[in-house]
Amino acid sequence: MIEIKGLNKYFPGRGRSEPVQALRDVDLTIRDNEFLTILGPSGCGKTTLLRNIAGLVPWDTGEILVDSQPVRGPSPERAMVFQNFALLPWSTVLANVAIGLEIRGEPRGPREAKARELIERVGLSGFEDRLPGELSGGMQQRVGLARALAVDPSVLLMDEPFGALDEQTRRLLQEELLRIWEQTPKTVVFITHSMEEAVLLGDRIVLMSARPGQVDDIIEVPLARPRSQHINELGESPEFASITTHLWTRLRSMQVLNT
Amino acid sequence: MSSAEGPALNIDRLLDSRWFLRALAFAAFALVWQVYATAAGGFFVPTFTETAAAIGRQLASPEVWQAFATSNIAMVLGFGLAVVIGIPLGFLMGRFRLAERAINPYLNILLVTPLAGIIPLLMMSLGIGLASRVIVVWSFAIVMVVVNTRAGVRQVDRSLIDMVRLFGAGELGVWRRVILPGSLPAVLAGVRVALGRAVTGMVIVELVMVSVGIGGLILRYQAFFRFAELYGMVVLIILEALILLAIVDWVQRKATPWASMTSIRD
Amino acid sequence: MTTSRGSKAVVQTTEAITGTQPVRRRARLRGWERAVGPVSLLAGAIAWEAIGQALDVSVFPPLSAVLGRLGELLADGTILGYLATSVTNLAIGFAVALVFGLTLGVLMGVYRRVEMALDIYVRAMLTAPSLVFAPIFFTLFGLDRITIVGVIVLYSTFIIVLNTAEAVKTAPRSLVEMARCYGAGDRFVLRRVILPSATPLIMAGVRLGAGRAVKGMINGEMFVAVVGLGGVVMTAGRNFDAETVLAVMTLIIVLAFMVVWLVERLDRRLTAWLPETNRA
Ligand SMILES: Nc1ncnc2c1ncn2[C@@H]1O[C@H](COP(=O)(O)OP(=O)(O)OP(=O)(O)O)[C@@H](O)[C@H]1O
Ligand SMILES: [Mg+2]
Repeated sequence: MIEIKGLNKYFPGRGRSEPVQALRDVDLTIRDNEFLTILGPSGCGKTTLLRNIAGLVPWDTGEILVDSQPVRGPSPERAMVFQNFALLPWSTVLANVAIGLEIRGEPRGPREAKARELIERVGLSGFEDRLPGELSGGMQQRVGLARALAVDPSVLLMDEPFGALDEQTRRLLQEELLRIWEQTPKTVVFITHSMEEAVLLGDRIVLMSARPGQVDDIIEVPLARPRSQHINELGESPEFASITTHLWTRLRSMQVLNT
Repeated sequence: MSSAEGPALNIDRLLDSRWFLRALAFAAFALVWQVYATAAGGFFVPTFTETAAAIGRQLASPEVWQAFATSNIAMVLGFGLAVVIGIPLGFLMGRFRLAERAINPYLNILLVTPLAGIIPLLMMSLGIGLASRVIVVWSFAIVMVVVNTRAGVRQVDRSLIDMVRLFGAGELGVWRRVILPGSLPAVLAGVRVALGRAVTGMVIVELVMVSVGIGGLILRYQAFFRFAELYGMVVLIILEALILLAIVDWVQRKATPWASMTSIRD
Repeated sequence: MTTSRGSKAVVQTTEAITGTQPVRRRARLRGWERAVGPVSLLAGAIAWEAIGQALDVSVFPPLSAVLGRLGELLADGTILGYLATSVTNLAIGFAVALVFGLTLGVLMGVYRRVEMALDIYVRAMLTAPSLVFAPIFFTLFGLDRITIVGVIVLYSTFIIVLNTAEAVKTAPRSLVEMARCYGAGDRFVLRRVILPSATPLIMAGVRLGAGRAVKGMINGEMFVAVVGLGGVVMTAGRNFDAETVLAVMTLIIVLAFMVVWLVERLDRRLTAWLPETNRA
């Protein structure tokens, strides 16, 4: 379980300008093995929140507990998948997937075996020795996903992981992510700009509002699980339509307030 | 936002100040120089303070100013000609592939050639007059003007050219509205690099062949064992280069405030 | 700083190295256009020969005379000793510049305070006409090899420092963050993320440094006037022997191209992972 209590985060202003408050009083409890999606206008602090949970950047006040332990820095328990993939362009697919294990000090044999297994799970068998530059965007993000899964994290943090992909690739990867998650449940915190994606993937949706970023609402998604087999039908269902309409109403009111 | 300076100096704050760190580095350098020159330098190495004193005397000396004037006449003429000829040439090469193809091999040769090698040839044909020095400076500077101008033209966004075309602009309009403003940052960056090279050319020709101007003065100091003045002169030449470049930087910032400076240099 | 892997030898532009900008479309050259470069060189050579023959003055010898002279110099071996001296100076000077430049560059790239303290001085030394230091070295070391080596080091170090610092500083933050996210320490990040990603830009600096080293070598030798190829040029110049000046210059140009070519090969090996489109 991840508990976020009263989180406040400021960024120092440039030069003499005022500091910017990126997060204000964020309270959020994320259940074990839950698929949580976070939706909100651009610049509302989604990435900042995720990086706080990852332990990559400090915050100002409040606390983040993972299984009752305070977050003090990055931990392999919480792996991250990046919007821009963040693959090492000079390393092969295999080495990229294995890097988390390498950092952890695992010897070459076992870590490559593990990496191969995950490469297969994300459907990239045969591409182990390619460089990232030789792969399509969708394939690159599969590598990113495999790399995160390779360290067997209990929490998967995903920052708009499919944002840079085209519609069809995105749909394929959504299905695949759901399939993997259904097979090996883990806590997923998934940031997205897409209302549909938030609904299709999430158990709950956290709506954030901007300036400063705070939790505006938390919405339960009433769609049944497992979903990986019937994403398309779900997308046509009346529940889906009503919940996206609701989300859009909320988001639009925020945009109006902002401008 | 930053709070008022407290009476007690905060050492961490100081260590985050660029100017303090620079001053610190300079002080360390001066100190090492002073100690070394005093302890082990002997006759040939003047101390930091001796050099500083020499610089003071030189700044008051008409002989030194005369030398700078002599040198810089050649520099300004050569550099000016390089800019005037180099920019059109660069535009030509950037816009017309055939011109580019024809001139490119020569540019490549010029870029890697140590141009000082032409100095003896110039002496033979033109003697040691102003013309030789101007040509040396010119040939040092022009390559960078051409190369950067060409790169500037090439990096102009094709879609902008298409855009003005669609609005009915002809070749002239394309140049005026897109290519000239679009390549200006690169052109100025080239001018900046070329100015540095021009100063280099000016110094080299005087040190190697024509003992006039500041190069000549340096050789005179060296011959008469006036080492403090020799060191002082080196400092003054570097200062001149830096001041000239600071001026170009300033022009650059005023003329193309939108540009992030990248330039091709060698 | 610097900008695309210039087609032939020398020019570098950052945009192509980092590959963040869209790859410039290169119109495919038609066959005859490809020939324009060589044809233009050939035309230049023919013009040189013709003008040289027509003028018939000693300061402008025709190409054939220059090449003939170069052949003689190589055949009777007189030039080889000077060549060896020059190449040795170059190798020592460039090696020292590499060690200095890379070390200082990495330090400046990694430690912000080192960079803040030293950047203006490094930039100043880069723009300063380095040959002004030759008289100082000469008073200290005379005809010793150190004089030339010192000039070479000053010519070539600072561009390597600046490019290295810039490269290390601009290593993609997202990759560094990725590694940190998996618990990587400073050393791992430097060795596996920062240095590899910095390599293309570092090598751009090294290539420029190599070109500058050759110039430093010749200029230094011409200043000292009695050692190496630069010394030969000066002596021939004093004797109004334009054929020899041009012959030796030709040799120097070949040497310069060879050095740059070597560095380029090394560069390609170290950065084989760069997509071919980013080399252009
Ligand atoms: N390193 C930083 N320094 C200063 N301000 C920052 C920094 N990072 C983020 N901010 C500011 O904090 C706020 C939140 O940024 P954040 O990147 O978390 O937003 P986001 O919700 O992820 O936006 P997007 O949807 O566009 O990715 C923004 O106003 C941003 O300008
Ligand atoms: Mg974001």
